[in-house]
Amino acid sequence: MKCEDSRKLLPLFLYSELSFEEEDRLEAHLDECDACRAALARERALFKSLDAAEMLPSVELLADCRAQLRARLSGVAPEHAGFWDKIRAGFTINFHFAPGLTQIAGALAMLALGFFGAHMTPASFPGSFHPAALVDPGSSRVRYVEPMGSGRVQIVVDETTQRTLSGTLEDQSIQRLLLTAAKDPSDAGLRVESVNLLKNQPQSAEVRSALLDVVQHDPNAGVRLKALDGLKDFANDPETRKTLAKVLLKDECPGVRTQVIDLLIQHHADSADSMVGVLQEVMGKEQNGYIRMRCQRALHDMNASAETY
Amino acid sequence: MDEPELIRAAQRGDQRAFEQLVRLYDQNVLRLAMNLLRSPEDANDIYQEAFLRVYKNLHTFRFDCSFHTWLYRIVTNLCLDALRKRRVRREEDTVVETSEGFLDRMDTVEESRAHGDPQRQLMSGQLRVRIRQVLDGLTPRERAVFEMRHYQGLRLRAIGDMLGTSEEAAKNCLFRATQKMRAALGDFV
Repeated sequence: MKCEDSRKLLPLFLYSELSFEEEDRLEAHLDECDACRAALARERALFKSLDAAEMLPSVELLADCRAQLRARLSGVAPEHAGFWDKIRAGFTINFHFAPGLTQIAGALAMLALGFFGAHMTPASFPGSFHPAALVDPGSSRVRYVEPMGSGRVQIVVDETTQRTLSGTLEDQSIQRLLLTAAKDPSDAGLRVESVNLLKNQPQSAEVRSALLDVVQHDPNAGVRLKALDGLKDFANDPETRKTLAKVLLKDECPGVRTQVIDLLIQHHADSADSMVGVLQEVMGKEQNGYIRMRCQRALHDMNASAETY
Repeated sequence: MDEPELIRAAQRGDQRAFEQLVRLYDQNVLRLAMNLLRSPEDANDIYQEAFLRVYKNLHTFRFDCSFHTWLYRIVTNLCLDALRKRRVRREEDTVVETSEGFLDRMDTVEESRAHGDPQRQLMSGQLRVRIRQVLDGLTPRERAVFEMRHYQGLRLRAIGDMLGTSEEAAKNCLFRATQKMRAALGDFV
């Protein structure tokens, strides 16, 4: 093989798109030709640069697209009494049967729930019977979450059969499902929507602890930012501040670090000494000019030096 | 429900099944549209139009190719049309020169997790600007083949099916695209 022919095959070789024979001939040539091996290394470097130039849509954009599509679909096919229409009409639980039987089945399900709810709800659960209480977060997978207005949320859960549940954020079962969904590693969109709902309940210790966990460990910066938003009112809580300080020193996303600084600065008077140390440490390692400027200004406001001695 | 069951349920008018079907593919559809069109608004338009077309025409889907291929055929056709129109309109480049050097307006809409990639952080702004200029200089077909092979990891045979052409033609497109990029970026890498 000539070098000229070999160079033409290099990109297709890296994409594993050569035939067996072409690849065999190229590898034989590369074994003998230093210049073509160097060219292959350059080609690999070019590929890596191209990898880094990929654009990824934000989770917010994905959520917007999904919401818009859902709204548009209901307008496109009014002949089908769609799922979301049923939700709006007040169904709180649906079982999957043949479409023609859905209404009857839904009515029977509601009747059964009413009957068993009235007769079997334990005394420790005064008031209404919540279908969400039937769900075990350990064996269910939350598929979608969505606010419904009036403080209610709806959750679509995959079990052996898929069901739709609704309830308020105060409902423990709803909350547990949202907490599970907020950790679903396979769907960043679901995590961001779940955290977005949970952040309205930061007064719950379990929710706050989950938000702190998300801020520290979620791989998606959009989800971490949403969780930070939910911690706004707790920026003076010592445990929250401790976690935020760790995030400020470790998080790779400048947007997250900037928001953490905003939260920490809000209440710096309560823990000025420890804040000074953290901000000075940030000044020692921070590469981002804007964040350095914010830290410097905060230290100045606290009458502290930007450097450690 | 597995994918064929979801498709059949959606064909019978089960909107929930359709939503699940959408969620199997919509992240990659949005990513492809975003990379090809470099605009969140345009990517959203493609997303809406593609899934609405799928919804309206799902009853015509006969399982004679994979749903993925069928969906991507719709998406890539929409993207190619948008790219062709854009070429005619000569829309403003996303890269602008400011007092602080070149700035890509699209940087503000990219997912922030990309900032965590050390390689991304180290990459010079000049190289990124150059890559985007080179991508803009590719023909819509070359661009589509490159994006689908490089970023979506699709095989050339599948790309050929999606674009209504042969594997060989897709291979030639990819070859020309990489040649142009090497010629333009060789000095930077």
